[in-house]
Amino acid sequence: MAPSTDLLQGTLDMLILQTLAPGQEHGWAIAQRIQQMSNDVLQVGQGSLYPALHRLEYRGWIRAEWGASENNRRARFYSLTAAGRKQLDAELKNWERLTGAVNLVLQRA
Amino acid sequence: MLGEWWSWLRFFVAGKKRAELDEEIQFHLQRQTEANLAAQMSSAEAQRQAAIAFGGQERAREECRAQRPSFALESVGRDLRYGLRGLWRNPGFSLVAVLTLGLAIGANATIFSLIDQALMRALPVRDPAQLVVLSFAGSSTGHVHSEGGSSPGHRHEFSYPMYRDLRQRNTVLSGLIAESLLTLGVTWNNHAESVPAEMVSGNYFSTLGVRPAAGRLFLDSDEAAPGANAVAVLSFDFWKTHFAEAPVVGKTLLVNGMPFTITGVAAPGFHSMVWEHAPDVFVPLSMEQVLTPEWPYLNDHIAYWIDVAGRLKPDVSLARAEASLNPLFFALRASEFTQLRDQSAKSKQEFVTKSHLNLEAGANGFSPLRGDVQMPLTIIMGMVLLVMGMAVVNLASLLLVRAASRTREFSLRYALGATGGQVLRQLLAEGMLLGLAGAALGLAIAPEALHLLIHWMSRNAPGEMPFAATLDWRVLGFTLVVTVLASLLFSLAPALQFRNPRLAESIKQQVGTAAGGSLKFRRTCVVLQVGFSLLLMVAAGLFVRTIDNLRRVDTGFATDHLLAFDLNPALAGYPADGVVPVEQRALDAVNALPGVRAVGATNDTDLAGDDVQGDMVPAGYAAKPDEQFDVELPWVSDGYLQTLGVPLVAGRYFNPGDTATSQKVAIVNESFARHYFGSVQAALRHHVYRPNRPETEATIVGVVRDVKHSSVRDPALPTCYTLFSQAARRTQLTFYLRTWQPPDAATASVRAAIANLDPKLIVGNLQTMTDQIDANLLAERAVAMLAAAFGLLATLLAGIGLYGILAYSTAQRTREIGIRMALGARRGAVVGLILREVMLLAGGAMVVTIPLAMLATRAVRSQLFGVSLADPLVYGAGILMICVVAALAGVIPARRAATIDPARALRTD
Repeated sequence: MAPSTDLLQGTLDMLILQTLAPGQEHGWAIAQRIQQMSNDVLQVGQGSLYPALHRLEYRGWIRAEWGASENNRRARFYSLTAAGRKQLDAELKNWERLTGAVNLVLQRA
Repeated sequence: MLGEWWSWLRFFVAGKKRAELDEEIQFHLQRQTEANLAAQMSSAEAQRQAAIAFGGQERAREECRAQRPSFALESVGRDLRYGLRGLWRNPGFSLVAVLTLGLAIGANATIFSLIDQALMRALPVRDPAQLVVLSFAGSSTGHVHSEGGSSPGHRHEFSYPMYRDLRQRNTVLSGLIAESLLTLGVTWNNHAESVPAEMVSGNYFSTLGVRPAAGRLFLDSDEAAPGANAVAVLSFDFWKTHFAEAPVVGKTLLVNGMPFTITGVAAPGFHSMVWEHAPDVFVPLSMEQVLTPEWPYLNDHIAYWIDVAGRLKPDVSLARAEASLNPLFFALRASEFTQLRDQSAKSKQEFVTKSHLNLEAGANGFSPLRGDVQMPLTIIMGMVLLVMGMAVVNLASLLLVRAASRTREFSLRYALGATGGQVLRQLLAEGMLLGLAGAALGLAIAPEALHLLIHWMSRNAPGEMPFAATLDWRVLGFTLVVTVLASLLFSLAPALQFRNPRLAESIKQQVGTAAGGSLKFRRTCVVLQVGFSLLLMVAAGLFVRTIDNLRRVDTGFATDHLLAFDLNPALAGYPADGVVPVEQRALDAVNALPGVRAVGATNDTDLAGDDVQGDMVPAGYAAKPDEQFDVELPWVSDGYLQTLGVPLVAGRYFNPGDTATSQKVAIVNESFARHYFGSVQAALRHHVYRPNRPETEATIVGVVRDVKHSSVRDPALPTCYTLFSQAARRTQLTFYLRTWQPPDAATASVRAAIANLDPKLIVGNLQTMTDQIDANLLAERAVAMLAAAFGLLATLLAGIGLYGILAYSTAQRTREIGIRMALGARRGAVVGLILREVMLLAGGAMVVTIPLAMLATRAVRSQLFGVSLADPLVYGAGILMICVVAALAGVIPARRAATIDPARALRTD
């Protein structure tokens, strides 16, 4: 019953933050970006992005405001806050450390 | 970091609007559709693919909602509201459940409050954790005046010189205090009364940290010179009830006829360093000589009459203090020993070498009563916890019955996507609601119940009740813990049933035979209920029989139609040589009253838990080595033995011919005669005397039967009766009158007669012998009453529980019964079917519980009297009660089963 993204919840947050690092985006664009950049490997249901977005907003790492999209429709745009940037740095460092360690084990074992 | 918390809080208070989320999702779907259209899909296909790529919309909405910081709280709130509605719609069930819990929790809170006050509560003084109580191991020759609580290795009574030396020469205590209880006659506004009082050291209040409510409390200087400081401090309650809080500082109070100046009033809430004392007046120890001149103890090294406690210095531990004080104590004992008469090596060893000072933590004060009260309270607490267990089982079965009708509801929830955790949370929330409602009811009942209980206990022991009808934080905490635990336990029961329901069957509301798990659970419930209630019934039966036996004990004298009162002329200020004459006149005055058959007096009240013991040596008796000569030594009037109706076995009673100036005479009891002289007849005409006091030599003129003296339970000690008129000192007396009418009728005329003699005389403790015995048996009576109450409560709960389970069984098996009846079974057989299962279980439960009960009662053997642990009457009565209750519980369901219309039953959906 649990959604598949539960296992990747921490990583999904990190991906969203990374996607928002260059500038603000709305939800659909974030989903597109992640799918494209991972060469369609990460097949998470697009709908499961929204709980993650809301969670990040509640934690104060991203900020959301209504704005006009490319075709002048109202869309909700998300951007990183200062705290979010700090969190992104921290998570990136943590990820590198983790994957580095796993790689080491796999190489040596 | 702070920003994150602020953001969390902000969204906690104001979440998102649903409309905004919908708009966002719609935007997303539109963009995806457009992208799909651009990829050459048809418009219908584009929308469909967009929806697929998105995933479940409702699911996404719910997940978003679940991310809200306040979600957890909202869910619980929702569960609670839903549960509340459910309970509201089932008033019968809710009422029974809340009442059951309320009674059980109320009982728990009441009994725990008693235990809290007796065993746990600290004295209402400054820093009670620093207080220590002193006792010593070692022999104590000489006069010992004990309030109780002492055992050979822990004697609590010290002599005043020893106390003073310890106080002056120790380095580890910031204060050492002493107190001694006595009764004083207090006159105020021409109204005289005998009140409990304490003689205390000058630093008593300052060391304990008690503040005055008015005036000042004692100073060290108040204890400086013997007899010099006639000052008194009143207790707050005494000041409130007797003086109406009027200004009393500096006023004069007559104490034992002598003027004392009131220096102040103690703070409210403080009674004494001894837990059960509630003295009305405090006077300095240095006034002892003046107040009780016949006991010149103040400077006597071998008079042990004061209880001692101390306050540790801030950085000193108990162990260190004890280690530091013992060499000092040892040295003091060694120097005391040189003044003893008996200088043998053996005596030295017992007095000096084996002496040791003990320090014990005294945060809740010294208490002679505590040891006696501990076991009965623990037993009652055990019983009340069993009652709680029964209530939990009852509620579990009630909830199970209710849950059976909610199978559809929960299966629907599962089908809609609820997790097991959510359903569990719902059930726990409902359980907590019931638990809290029950706890609220219980805590509302408890103070009233406490009040009634205390009132009942203090009816026979006026002014001595150390319990108060209040609940403090410990009781509330305990109640909360019990409530939460109980709620968890009984809500888990239906929760376990719903862990994995078979959805299809349940939605079709199939009510065939009972589901497997539910059946096992129901059986467990029946077994537990029957088991618990049998245990409680057996306990109740044993204690009720104990009290019955105690009441019937042959005390050796006739206890009916006997009225008693205390008279202590010293309290009214009579000088030493005036006491005996006025006591004689009192005897004559009371004897002359109409309706009085006989009058006698003694200085050693019967059946009051008191003893006056000492050595009495027969002349020429060859003592065995190490033989102790302790005998009861009451001083009586010449009519005493006849008034009480103690049978004469040999020789004669005292008669008016034995006066203060005639030959000294004594009467002994059978135990004394047989022990020292071999036979009753041989005792006559021998001489006995107090060791080292040849002036007390008396001739034995009679032998009487043994009677029980200090309590109804304890066997009689060797006793030697002498006349108070022939004694060396004055003493107070307890008068006994044998009346023709019921003794209560004589109380007014007795008071009048004494007042006629001298209005200043104070009549104390005016009560019948039956009341006195009741007071002596108070602990046993309380235990019996509470045990009986809990036994009955348990039976009631068992009845309710069994009824619930039987009703449920019957409802579950309606189809089965219909089929059976359609196939030709008679109604009687059907009813038997229902009842048989329960009866078999009950029988099995009883078989298992009986050995358990015997084991359990072994632990409380010391509290029983005259009942064997396997008393067939008690067990038989308990089993009978349970069978009757089970039968009654089964009547309605059985009738329902018998009146089932087979055609309708088979059609039941």
